[in-house]
Amino acid sequence: MAIDSGLQGKVALVTGGSRGIGRAVVERLAGDGMQVVFFYRDNAAAAQEVLATVAAAGGRSETLQADVADAKAVDEAVDRIVDSHGRIDLLVNNAGIVRDNLLGMLEDVDIRAVLDTNVGGTFNVTRAVARHMISKRSGRIVNLSSVAATKGGRGQSNYAASKGAIEAFTRAMAVELASRKITVNCVAPGVIETEMSQQVRDLADEQIKARILLRRYGQAQDVANAVWFLASRFADYITGEVLHVDGGFKME
Amino acid sequence: MPEQAIAQPEIDAVFPKVAQTIADALGCDLEEVKPTSSLIEDLDAESIDFLDLVFRLEKGFGVKIPRGKIVEDARGALPESEFEAKGVVTEAGLARLREFLDEVPAERIKTPLKAADVPRLFTSETFCKVVIRAQRAAA
Repeated sequence: MAIDSGLQGKVALVTGGSRGIGRAVVERLAGDGMQVVFFYRDNAAAAQEVLATVAAAGGRSETLQADVADAKAVDEAVDRIVDSHGRIDLLVNNAGIVRDNLLGMLEDVDIRAVLDTNVGGTFNVTRAVARHMISKRSGRIVNLSSVAATKGGRGQSNYAASKGAIEAFTRAMAVELASRKITVNCVAPGVIETEMSQQVRDLADEQIKARILLRRYGQAQDVANAVWFLASRFADYITGEVLHVDGGFKME
Repeated sequence: MPEQAIAQPEIDAVFPKVAQTIADALGCDLEEVKPTSSLIEDLDAESIDFLDLVFRLEKGFGVKIPRGKIVEDARGALPESEFEAKGVVTEAGLARLREFLDEVPAERIKTPLKAADVPRLFTSETFCKVVIRAQRAAA
């Protein structure tokens, strides 16, 4: 029997939806009957692949090219979505990048790029979308944090700082938007088998697995399921929370 | 360039629609929305309601009201450092506000006024003028 998640027919915006966790989120939400619009920055071919996969499964998705670090481009893209769909019920702030290196080796540009995309992008998209949700007096926002926000990793100071900021931002937004019946939560993935974590997994495979209680990496679908849950009616009474999807990494 | 004064008939022309928009945004009765009503003091608006209201006015009137534009206009030619000191509006700032918000009874614009409390002064008529300025900017 199908479970009524309350998401069927609603409109979702997922940033960074062409690859990795974002792609899994797009497919999960579209698979549950949402109309999903996703942003991609530069991999048009990957975005087309996602559209085709969703369509083949009988779902509906569309894509827009937008760099979340560019506030003006974000405003325009969000306006286009609202013009054509009339609303955005769910925002998933997933777009994120890594530029790992020891602090002493990090170039200014590596620090800035990570903060501009991960933190600045979350600000830009949330600001553009929240005003529409405020008017509708309903909405869900799910931000993608990381285990790095609470468990430091060598060479990830910029990334860890950006994800810590996203968790703090989530709590602040939960307070600010609660009176308009908008919930804001975080999903904090551990080490997930994606292209983005390839480098760190290659460098320290056994060491990492030794720190995960379940002794294996997660899959993008594991994270997508958590996002789906926080978007669904089953999470109606949850806001300002961080849901860890990390196989117990944080317990070590 | 000094701003061209906004005449009462212009305000009267947009007021019904602005009032309806305010009633929709705040969930209050249309009858409660008078031209002189302070949105925060009289109609129980919260600051987050201004976001919603501006958004609805943009849609309803087909105009653009850029972020921060209202406060920027209220400050006029005064640089921020002369408009406020340590978060409190200066004498020069108060004089500017009395001129700009001429729909607000002058006795309400008095020291000490925190800069963050300036929106408490805004009335329905303030938003009529916001719309008219946006229409002029677009023309």
